[in-house]
Amino acid sequence: MRRAVGIGLWVLVVAAGLALFVFLPHLVSDFHSRDLARAGVFFIAIVGLNLLTGYTGQISLGHGALMAIGGYTTAALVVHEHWRDVWTIPLAGIAAGIVGFVIGLPALRLSGPYLALATFGFAVAMPSLLKKFSGLTGGTQGLRFLESSPQQVTGLTGSVTILGHSTTQNHFLYYLTWAIGIVGLATAWLIVRGRVGRVFRAVRDSETAAVSSGVNLAATKTLAFALSGVYAGVAGALLAIQDEIVNPLSFGFLLSILILVGAVVGGLGSLPGLVLGALFVQYLPDLSTHVSTRPGVPDFVYGAAIIVLMILLPSGAGGLLRRVAGPLTTRLYTRP
Amino acid sequence: MRRALYLTFALACALALATAASGEHASTPGVTATEVVIGGTIPVTGVASAYKTVGYGAAAYFRYVNAHGGVNKRKIRYIIKDDQYDPAQTIGKTRELVEQDHVFAIFNSLGTEHNLATRPYLNALKVPQLFVASGATTWGRDSKQWPWTIGYQPNYRAEGTIYGRYVAKISPKARAGVLYQDDDYGKDLLAGLRKGLGKKKNLIVSAQGYNVDDPDVRSQIARLKAARANTLMVFATPKFAIQSYVFARQLGWKPKVYMNAVSSASNVMGIAAQPTVAGKKQVEGTISIVFLKDPNDPRWAKDRGIRLYRTIMKRYKGTNPKDVYNVYGMSVAHTFVEALKKAGRNPTRDSIMRAARHLNIHNDPFLLPGVVVRTTPGDGFPLDQARLERYHKGRWVSFGGLFRVR
Repeated sequence: MRRAVGIGLWVLVVAAGLALFVFLPHLVSDFHSRDLARAGVFFIAIVGLNLLTGYTGQISLGHGALMAIGGYTTAALVVHEHWRDVWTIPLAGIAAGIVGFVIGLPALRLSGPYLALATFGFAVAMPSLLKKFSGLTGGTQGLRFLESSPQQVTGLTGSVTILGHSTTQNHFLYYLTWAIGIVGLATAWLIVRGRVGRVFRAVRDSETAAVSSGVNLAATKTLAFALSGVYAGVAGALLAIQDEIVNPLSFGFLLSILILVGAVVGGLGSLPGLVLGALFVQYLPDLSTHVSTRPGVPDFVYGAAIIVLMILLPSGAGGLLRRVAGPLTTRLYTRP
Repeated sequence: MRRALYLTFALACALALATAASGEHASTPGVTATEVVIGGTIPVTGVASAYKTVGYGAAAYFRYVNAHGGVNKRKIRYIIKDDQYDPAQTIGKTRELVEQDHVFAIFNSLGTEHNLATRPYLNALKVPQLFVASGATTWGRDSKQWPWTIGYQPNYRAEGTIYGRYVAKISPKARAGVLYQDDDYGKDLLAGLRKGLGKKKNLIVSAQGYNVDDPDVRSQIARLKAARANTLMVFATPKFAIQSYVFARQLGWKPKVYMNAVSSASNVMGIAAQPTVAGKKQVEGTISIVFLKDPNDPRWAKDRGIRLYRTIMKRYKGTNPKDVYNVYGMSVAHTFVEALKKAGRNPTRDSIMRAARHLNIHNDPFLLPGVVVRTTPGDGFPLDQARLERYHKGRWVSFGGLFRVR
């Protein structure tokens, strides 16, 4: 009985979530779905970072650079090889996954703040690297999808037809991004509840204990980095597809910080709160300019909001959800 | 480990795929019985926010026109979107203008990269991309390939050519150092300079590029000085242009400066000339080109056009009348109004484009006397005349006659 109620609750929550996903773009203006689609990009990257930081305990400040790998893989395939934009997403994920694996190697030696700094270095160097290989990346100007291969941009003229059903480009981007996001979330959930997830958590809680229980530390850490890289790469690809352009500015080191902020606000080590983390990263800058547009004020409001949130919700939105839902579900469980 | 493989596989497979199809509006969007809606992107904030008055000046002129009955009883509504000089935002905001605000035309969007990024989209949809605020040569030169796009100001390559010819003529022993923005805009000017120098192109002893997202141009200026240049060509936007004076002064270097027109507005020069910035000595003798009337020039104090300018700035919510970019905005707005009048009683996107390609405006009050706004189907450069000017004792003095720049 208890189990049935639990499952019933889950089904309800998932159904409500899916219904919201399907109908949300119809509740806001068409153009607003574009902003929601961008929040979806943050969401995917944040889920990936949470696997690494929240579950495995490895801090990365270099996820913006991994997104750049994904974004530029997509852009190079579209602009130089004339691939259709959406087809490039899997390759972008794989490319960033490989790079994630490689930057995971220093993590075998470094930990805590030292690892954070090493990955941060990667994020800071990325824009310069992109400018260096200008033949491939277009240098400062970046790569413009529309100019080089407009035919490969899905929804060039503002509408998209899928299986005979026509929709606007903004809705298409929203559904594409969040559908991938939901699949990504489900996959992450499957990972963390299984053996791999237990190993991740064991490494996070005590590396020594994990090793003495037979966990292969090197394999675990690099796997977490590679997995996280796949998410970041897919997110970067979607960002490029939404912007229809990539340039070094799109993947500055601030992006890495934003993703970490989103993961912390959403709740490290939990998954459902991450949607709120993504919305926070997407909408707070806009909201803070509403307070005042005087120079410096939005930045101040932004920073203050993060501090206040961390004081009130030290375990992020995920922790709040747990605290709210906890008593409710336990009561349901204990009363047959 | 196997799960990890599943994950990658799942992500790869999870994509529902789509094909694009095009759809078009049959009637003319943005035109009603009482209104014509146009829009464009302007860097209201960000590194190039000095240009925001290019939009504000145009907006003030439209308010003036609307207060006097509009065009064919239609008011012009001009929507300015802030793209922060970031091409990724230009694309998003331009799509918003076309797909959500259903504008009649994109007008006066600012920046070379930015307009290049949206041009294929606007042409695919046959939305006029009118009088882009960029001097890249491609706007006028490539009108066959991009029939829905037209520029406005004299093009950068021609401007560079003028400087090249002038240097070759008056100082054939110059050692020229070039500071240029490393993109289509800066390279256009540099190419023009080389063309103008002709056989003397080895007068260029060093050319240093900078990126828009660089914090400053200190090292570029130091390298130009180290190359023993005595002439400094500044092909840079206002912030970097001012910096080039400042760093040259800090290095104790006083080259002869040629300042590109996008940064030679007298308000920008005024900032550079302040003693705490670079000082009067450093900017004295700078050479540039001009095609607009400068509201700070006492010569135009009683001029009909500049008086109209001041009235509009005062009555129609203008900002800072000393800012010359307002004059540019009014001039381009004046040209749009003339084109709209020519586009017929019920303008269509086709007819406004035809009008924009058959301009012959002799009475633009904001341009130097004698400067004509002229286009033909084979000539996509609305403005192609300018004069040389020299910065002397805190203001620009033009010299020589009107050049036809090509």
